[in-house]
Amino acid sequence: MLAEVLDSLSRDVLGGFAQAGVAIGLCLVVVLLCRRFAVHVERETLISLLRGLAQMALVGVILALLLQRHLLVGGLILLAMTGAAAVTAARRAPGIPDALRLSFYSIAAGAGIVVVGMLATGSLAPNVATLVPVGSMIVANAMNACAQALERFRAEVTAHVGQVEAGLALGADPAVTVAPYVERAVYASLLPRLDMLKSLGLVWIPGVMAGMVVSGASPLYAGIYQFVIVAMILAASGLTGLVVMLLIRTRVFSPAAQLLLRPAEPRPLASQASPGKESR
Amino acid sequence: MLTDATTQGGSAGSATPGGQGIALEAKHLSRAITGKVLVDDISVQVQQGEVLAVVGPSGAGKSSFLRLLNRLDEPTSGTVLLQGQDYRQIAPQTLRRRVGMVMQMAALFPGTVADNIAFGPRQHQETIAPEQIEALVGRVGLPGYQDRDVSHLSGGEAQRVSLARTLANGPAVLLLDEPTSALDDASERGIEALLVSIIRERQMTCVMITHDLPQATRVAHRTMILEAGTLVAIGPTAEVLHAR
Repeated sequence: MLAEVLDSLSRDVLGGFAQAGVAIGLCLVVVLLCRRFAVHVERETLISLLRGLAQMALVGVILALLLQRHLLVGGLILLAMTGAAAVTAARRAPGIPDALRLSFYSIAAGAGIVVVGMLATGSLAPNVATLVPVGSMIVANAMNACAQALERFRAEVTAHVGQVEAGLALGADPAVTVAPYVERAVYASLLPRLDMLKSLGLVWIPGVMAGMVVSGASPLYAGIYQFVIVAMILAASGLTGLVVMLLIRTRVFSPAAQLLLRPAEPRPLASQASPGKESR
Repeated sequence: MLTDATTQGGSAGSATPGGQGIALEAKHLSRAITGKVLVDDISVQVQQGEVLAVVGPSGAGKSSFLRLLNRLDEPTSGTVLLQGQDYRQIAPQTLRRRVGMVMQMAALFPGTVADNIAFGPRQHQETIAPEQIEALVGRVGLPGYQDRDVSHLSGGEAQRVSLARTLANGPAVLLLDEPTSALDDASERGIEALLVSIIRERQMTCVMITHDLPQATRVAHRTMILEAGTLVAIGPTAEVLHAR
């Protein structure tokens, strides 16, 4: 098995590194141009390029190893990716209790249902080499949807504290008071994916199709399959956005229906308010 | 003090409504956030039909105190009795219906005036008839406004709608958090007169924050003064304010 792995690693690797070198050279030309206009991104760009190359090379090695493994290993890899995605998404929700756990559940639900559905319908081949790359695309987009929904929800609620509390003060259930912001958050999380679907083939030819065509597949089939992938990404994103909002919408309230989410921490008493106005 | 303020001048606040029982009682109420004490061990009783003004410098904890009375915030210690019942035994949604609140800023919901007024009753699966909405809108001085979009209202009009929206729930106690402070002088006097007439008409128990001491004199039976979250004085409005 090791011999096969080494073989797959050695083939075209030198050529690939040469192409990477050319790509890095082109980027450095742009960096020099930027420098002429006093835009200094030399260090950041160089680090990013080298880091990106190292990461992708590492992913290549891991995929080469995975090709030899059982489907279950692919599932575990996707689960780990979901965990990492939840950590990233939850960073967009400071002050929201349980954001990490609920993000994990949401991304797992959104991406998981879609991946299982694709496997069940034969849209996704049941092998690690297909499952991990396609699954990771779906997890990544579910993560973005989750993060965008959380960020938008948090921003909307903190911008409308007065209306939320007015609703609470009138005896409304917490979920009712934030319902408009849940809707906006789910919509905001779906919008980039809807735009992606609309512009498919017109503005961009995504990676899956490009890869299939390069590797000799029928361009028509590659195009249709790419549509399937993007549609599944939309479905996973929508599910994730909905689930995270359903789970999180009442977490910003205490058990006594008090809004916990605030734009900022209360200031010290001595400097709280302008003359003649009271603030909490 | 409501009706008597103009006739009794400085001693207007000395008479408190009696014999009808205690509507609201704060018992050793405190609230602190991250070590900062906002409200410090306040105990006060408000009689049925009484208007209690809360005054004090900025940052004294007036709004923090008021928000504890309908449990919009949670006390760190102490509690509130609503007609003798510990408010922690009442569902927050029910409590807030019985203890209505008008905030400093109206914070109306998008839609029409009627939508806003129907909001409270709708939360309890009740419908409010169009005639009732019309009557409420008229009562707060905005006859015919029920179908207007709230985005077109002035500050004073929005505050009147906010009051009507709260009254639609039929609260027993009304909390007013400086309802006139964000308005111009003309609107302020109009809203104050409206509040006085509605409180008197409905014999409502009312706790009202104001930074305007003459307003406290005109409106409140009693006044309490807060400083740094602590109750420093309470009594008939004229006496308390005179002593300061």
